[in-house]
Amino acid sequence: MRMPRPSSGRLLRAAAAAGAVTALTAALAGCATDVTRPRVEGSLGPVFANLYVHQQTLLGHPGLTPAAVAARPTCHRTTPGSHDKGAGSDWICQVGWTDGTGRPQNGKFELQVRSNGCYQAGGPSKIVGPIMIRDTAGTSVINPVFEFDGCFDTT
Amino acid sequence: MTVAVPAVEASGLVKRFGARTAVDRVDLRVDVGEVYGILGPNGAGKTTFLRMLFGLIRPDAGTLRVFGRTWGEAGPRMLDGVAGFIESPRFYPYLSGRRNLNLLAGLDGGGAGSRIDAVLDVVDLAGRADDKVGGYSFGMRQRLGVAASLLRDPRLLVLDEPANGLDPAGIRDMRALVRRLAAGGLTVLLSSHNMDEVEEICDNVTIMRTGRVVYHGSIDQLRAQAPDPSHRLLTSDDAQALRLGGDHPAVSVSAHPDGGLVLRAQPADADAYILALGQAGVAVRALHLEVAPLESLFFMLTETDPAAGHDVPAQAQPDALTGAAS
Amino acid sequence: MTTPATPATTATATAAAPVPPAAVHPRPVGRGRVATAYRWEVTKLAAQARTRATLAVCLLAPFVFVVLLDRQDRLPKDTLYGRWVHASGFATPLLILGFAAQWVFPLLTSLVAGDIFASEDQHGTWKTILTRSHSRSQIFWAKTLAAATFTTAVLTVLALSCLTAGVLLVGHQPLESLSGTLLPPGRAAGLVLAAWATALPPLLGFTALGIMLSVLTRSSPAGIVGPIILGLLMQLYAFLNGADTIRHLLLVTPFDAWHGLLAAHPYYGPLRDGTFVSVGYLVLCLAVAYTALRRRDITGG
Repeated sequence: MRMPRPSSGRLLRAAAAAGAVTALTAALAGCATDVTRPRVEGSLGPVFANLYVHQQTLLGHPGLTPAAVAARPTCHRTTPGSHDKGAGSDWICQVGWTDGTGRPQNGKFELQVRSNGCYQAGGPSKIVGPIMIRDTAGTSVINPVFEFDGCFDTT
Repeated sequence: MTVAVPAVEASGLVKRFGARTAVDRVDLRVDVGEVYGILGPNGAGKTTFLRMLFGLIRPDAGTLRVFGRTWGEAGPRMLDGVAGFIESPRFYPYLSGRRNLNLLAGLDGGGAGSRIDAVLDVVDLAGRADDKVGGYSFGMRQRLGVAASLLRDPRLLVLDEPANGLDPAGIRDMRALVRRLAAGGLTVLLSSHNMDEVEEICDNVTIMRTGRVVYHGSIDQLRAQAPDPSHRLLTSDDAQALRLGGDHPAVSVSAHPDGGLVLRAQPADADAYILALGQAGVAVRALHLEVAPLESLFFMLTETDPAAGHDVPAQAQPDALTGAAS
Repeated sequence: MTTPATPATTATATAAAPVPPAAVHPRPVGRGRVATAYRWEVTKLAAQARTRATLAVCLLAPFVFVVLLDRQDRLPKDTLYGRWVHASGFATPLLILGFAAQWVFPLLTSLVAGDIFASEDQHGTWKTILTRSHSRSQIFWAKTLAAATFTTAVLTVLALSCLTAGVLLVGHQPLESLSGTLLPPGRAAGLVLAAWATALPPLLGFTALGIMLSVLTRSSPAGIVGPIILGLLMQLYAFLNGADTIRHLLLVTPFDAWHGLLAAHPYYGPLRDGTFVSVGYLVLCLAVAYTALRRRDITGG
């Protein structure tokens, strides 16, 4: 029969080739990672600033701009030997910013960063408020900075 | 007057499946207008040959021309004007017979769509055409297969064991249908393992066994070479009947291993012998045909040593057989 | 017969000669045959209950999903836009897009692509169609185009249905971008549709994967389940934070490319890379499937 299905020999060769390619790529992969400290910090700052402006508007303090908030995150991973890169739920970011009254604020954010460049950040509720807040009309709405998502370019 | 381009012309055709040679150096020619039979027991290579004809499998060696075209030259256009089915015809069970034909007519193009009602009538399926094929009996599917072939308005109709799996009435209808189609000028190539069928329908025949051609020629020629019909004979006095057999050189009478006698003779000679039995006071209790003559020839051809058969030129085969049969 | 002029054959031919041979009928020319076969395959797909049911589910499921979600207090916060499903109707299609990429997309496309070749094996109908003057290449491209058509149709129906369900049942409030800014409804609607459109290249990659498995295994279950399992394994690899170089080569990675569109300053790098990867899968799988189908002996059925 003229090989209508791959023979076991061919399958074996294909599997060996696939294994070799995988091993080679894995060896190369150690060099680069998509999730790096500059990328995380570069994304978290503007995202938090935008959401903080949004939250202040909900609470009746309009007129604030993201530039005035000037969020400055400093991030690192708590796992030893992680060299502050790679996906994980152990990212901690210390964020400093300026609030609506001009006072400096500082809070610790916990981040779960996924390998696709998206993360979920949880803010300190003592500073940013609880999960639900009341807007100026008295309606209970989601607090945008209590927990939020963000993504950055991994290419 | 001869037709220049044969409908089918195979030369030196070989197909191997692993170590097994399914078709071994087969030569075959089907002229336009004839009904040609490929006869052989199961596994003789008939279906493999027909699959190659339809381009479903590729020959390992040799050439195959259909109306003068090969796969290499014409690709699927080699099948223009050719229709038929291999083994049992298959359809989409979740669609009605008419819908199946509709789909196939769409593939065929041309005027195939306008022939659907006509071909359903030809195979006597018009009444059930709107039922799902999943609910069809084997015979109905077989008839739908013929209808699907006729849709192409073919010049050559190829049928692989068309009567396979049919009940006696279905077999009778199928044979009548093939004869009717052939009478209309269609070239028919059919395979069968049944000598009766081929004898009834075909003009010419190729007999195959284990991938090789062991005989080809016309049915008339084959019939002339066939051994005498063999009968089972029960009498009131077998010993006396055996002795009387010695007085009739045109008949051969011998003891049957299961009791009774075996009578081999042409009908006229058998009649004379039976009458002689009566005159001698031996009553005939039973006389029935055991093996039809062509069938016994077929068994001889397909059950002898293939090595002995193959290298003998085809034209010499009937002579060799005559020797074996007498 | 090696020598055709044997007395018997000549006699038969002579006897048959008075009957005029049937007229030669014109057949469709080669270039139209893929189109003919494509129409045949689409008609066949449209007649299958499975095809209709899949499209019906794509049309109705988003509405059911939104209604069920509305009755829940807990928000599906693990998926992007999960926390905004009650705040904006535009979050619904994006949440479903993120969720569907996990295994729904491979399932939807392989339902047809994984079966489209194997079903001919299952019904034994290869010989029925290949004996009708169509080449295997023509049938291959017709079936591939039909599977791609179905994939595109499913994606379109699902995208529009999700958007409609969100806007009708939740509303057209402004949508939070992935950078924390608010997008006005018109722009949000456009971005939602664009985000769904970015799923087409990897989805066609999965279609090709299904086609390849369908041809190679000749089994519908393998053709349908195979892409789903491969998709899940790829998800698992990404979830376990495997090496990023390999992750970039996985067919599920392009499903995340839409994130770049929803940023305040959109970035298109993942979309570009993802499209290359998808096209790579497409070409490779189709080449393997095409070669296998061309070389195969049709012996079954």
